[in-house]
Amino acid sequence: MQKGLFQYAFILFCRSRTALTGVLILLVSGIAGLYLGSTFINRQQAMIRKAAAMQPETTRRNIQYFGKELGTLLYHNRYTMADQPGNWAAFSNGQRDINPYIMSVSMLGLQGQLYDTDLSNPVTLLYGNIDLAFVFIFLFPLVIIAFTYNLWSAEKESGVWRLLHPHAERPAGILLTKLLVRIVVVFAVAWLLLLIACLYLPLPADIRLLWVFLAVSSYLLFWFALSFFVTALGRSSDFNVATLIACWVGLNILAPALVNIIVSWKYPVPEALQTVVQQREGYHEKWDKDKQVTMTRFYQHYPQFRKYSFPQDAAFSWSWYYAMQQMGDDEAASGVAAMAAKLQQRQQFANNAALFLPGIQTTLRLNEIAGTDLQHHLDFQAALQQYHENIRLYFYPFIFKGSTVKDVDWNQFGITFFRKYSTEKCWQLLSVLLFTILLSCMAWRMLRRKLTTQ
Amino acid sequence: MQITLLIAVRTWKTVLQNRAAAALTLLLGIILCIATWIGWQHFKTQQQQQQHYKSIVREQWESKPDKHPHRMAHYGYLVFRDKHELSFFDFGIEQFAGVSIFLEAHKQNTANFSEAGFSNGMLRFGELSVAMVLQLLVPLLIFFLGFNSIAAERESGALKILLCQGISWRQLLAGKMLGIIGVAFTLFIPVILLTILLWAALSHWHVSADAALRLLLLVVSYAVYFIICAGIAVLVSAFSSTSRAALTTLLGCWVFFLVILPRLTQAIGARLYPSPAKIEFAAAVEADLHREGDSHNPDDPHYAQLKSSLLQQYGVDDVKKLPFNYSGYVMAEGEKISAAIYDRHQQQLIDIYERQNHFTMAAGFLNPYLAIRHLSMALTGADFTTYADFQQQAESYRYQLAQRMNSLQMKYISNETPAANDKPAAISHDHWKEMPDFTFHFRKTGQVLPTQTATITALLGWLVLVLAGVQLASRFVKTL
Repeated sequence: MQKGLFQYAFILFCRSRTALTGVLILLVSGIAGLYLGSTFINRQQAMIRKAAAMQPETTRRNIQYFGKELGTLLYHNRYTMADQPGNWAAFSNGQRDINPYIMSVSMLGLQGQLYDTDLSNPVTLLYGNIDLAFVFIFLFPLVIIAFTYNLWSAEKESGVWRLLHPHAERPAGILLTKLLVRIVVVFAVAWLLLLIACLYLPLPADIRLLWVFLAVSSYLLFWFALSFFVTALGRSSDFNVATLIACWVGLNILAPALVNIIVSWKYPVPEALQTVVQQREGYHEKWDKDKQVTMTRFYQHYPQFRKYSFPQDAAFSWSWYYAMQQMGDDEAASGVAAMAAKLQQRQQFANNAALFLPGIQTTLRLNEIAGTDLQHHLDFQAALQQYHENIRLYFYPFIFKGSTVKDVDWNQFGITFFRKYSTEKCWQLLSVLLFTILLSCMAWRMLRRKLTTQ
Repeated sequence: MQITLLIAVRTWKTVLQNRAAAALTLLLGIILCIATWIGWQHFKTQQQQQQHYKSIVREQWESKPDKHPHRMAHYGYLVFRDKHELSFFDFGIEQFAGVSIFLEAHKQNTANFSEAGFSNGMLRFGELSVAMVLQLLVPLLIFFLGFNSIAAERESGALKILLCQGISWRQLLAGKMLGIIGVAFTLFIPVILLTILLWAALSHWHVSADAALRLLLLVVSYAVYFIICAGIAVLVSAFSSTSRAALTTLLGCWVFFLVILPRLTQAIGARLYPSPAKIEFAAAVEADLHREGDSHNPDDPHYAQLKSSLLQQYGVDDVKKLPFNYSGYVMAEGEKISAAIYDRHQQQLIDIYERQNHFTMAAGFLNPYLAIRHLSMALTGADFTTYADFQQQAESYRYQLAQRMNSLQMKYISNETPAANDKPAAISHDHWKEMPDFTFHFRKTGQVLPTQTATITALLGWLVLVLAGVQLASRFVKTL
């Protein structure tokens, strides 16, 4: 009996215009999102290839123009690190349009270079890109609402319910079957899109796929649960759709917008400006100080270079110059640490808020898995900092020894890549599941009560 | 006319008597008040923070000891992007644009530290500002209030009775629309008055005439926008057979035009007019620089020629005998060439961005939301043009700073290089104060409006369309 009911409900639903339109909207926008997201990442990959090709060429040209003195060449020559997007980044572009993904830094003070941005149109950043994650987060819930808002009310409003209700063995079963049909259809579309993404991007079948699968599924289930709960209140179709749209606006627009403005108001980042001021001052004031001051501090930082002396009487020497540059970074250290702490606070706040907002939770986790979130960029910055340090450590002895450009093997400074992804915070998806279970239970109890009092 | 007004008043009363509608309206009003307050607090925090660092930068600049002017040119200056006092109303691109630029000789740096760079992606969901509520949520409210304005009368059969009583379709539609507009304004007018009052109070009643004019234009623009939304709601309701159909159509339109289409439009614009990435831009600038001449390369033909013509002009055989500092002269020449090349490329880049944005602004003819969004950003000084102005003014300040230091070098620094162990050449620190501080100048309203002809025309076009629709709809709508 139940199986037959399901089949009838399924056929009935699939023949409705709502079902066809909804599925079509999801498929078209999903594929469009996949296409737009992947062209965006493809362009970044093309730029990285270009940068990789340009790197030896610019080094060669720098040697040609500035190769007379090692100090001058090091002043001009830059070393490149690229934040190589994985294929998942095309699925969820995240912050990759805002944060720079190719960084070229010279041996000068890092803090003066680390925060340089890429060129971008702020209006384009404001509107944001469309990717598959956007379709999952914003559009799927709307289609779920469209599919389920009149699950019960339509039957009641058309009078069918009154005829059906007294004869049905389990009236709730009818509603559950109808809900199940819609869940099956929406999940079929969602999984189909995931499958297309896997083949098109392509995505490796690893733990990340499993997490994305879980994230998307639990998010969709959450919306079904919410929808079902509102339906179970037994009110009119108009009430249901208005309430559900209000929920959607509240959860996906209003609450995040409120959290955003609170974050940027409660946790401003003046430390960023402080860092720049400290770095600039820390370096430039050394020109007006006794050289010994700079060198003493430099030797304190790098005791291993104490064995090299520096020309005390000369008005200028490269060892002194680069030691001054180092002082800029050293004196900005407190600002850097304060900024890092502030950014952690911000992320903490956002992560806590996300526990109550499934849309944000899912977005943050998808970005985390795709390696397109803020933490990923901070890790990239840290990797760049390490790379810069290695370059400094490599060249300091050459500078102290007064080596020439020829003494260095320049071929070793090709582009370097940063690749990383994390699934560390994915357990937070439990909050979405928890809400889903809670809402389902509430919906079920509500439905039972409404049915018995009828 | 009287009948129209009567219908309007009755519609207005029925809507406001509806408990759910009243609750929604009240809720939105509260959200608007919160948005105003938080927006202002945020604006003030940011502004204070920038003022603080601006004064530190100035203080440090003036307190530098005697130095070689070229050292000062490299010490450079840090400038901050001012926020317009109305930006609390509409954040526009504020959070996505860099707030500070480091200005130094020879080199144009990017504007860094945008709020978006410190955000972990939640910013993508939008921000709570007065403008966001007015642009996005008020239309939704209007749709909720207006979807059954005609369709429900049709369903209940009241429509037939009304029309039989000698009320014309035109009067009915106009009355319903006026009623819905009335409800929207019942919410809008007190809130906007409150916003103005709060703004004036928070800025200690020091309100410039230009800002007041901008705000007035904003109020008018939003009023037009709401009329358009109310018109659409009534028309959709009139053409839908049931109020459910009207509601789903309106909600579908809202989602499509206000959530999906804006992203899609800008994404298409950005792909139609591709802009260079930084490495491409830098490579193009560098290629042009090498073509024009390289001031660092002593064998460069451009500078070799410059040198020989100088020697000839002053009748000397060595640059050291010139009556001014030769390397200062070369750097001034180099700065002139490189700045001109950079400006040319920067202008091309800005043009590409403008074209991308104009694509979206032109889409305002299809989607009034895009029109009001861009117009609102422009009026609150939070649009792309203001940002481009900032970059341009900062670059011109940078150029003046570098050239001032070069001319100081030409005037006061000897051509004889001090011996290796001598004190380096320097000039008095009194010169530093002579360099004025950077101040950003916002455009006057009169200069803002010409950049917005497309959006203003689009809004007015929609207004005419909706009003004409209400007039003409009577020919096409069905009573049953």
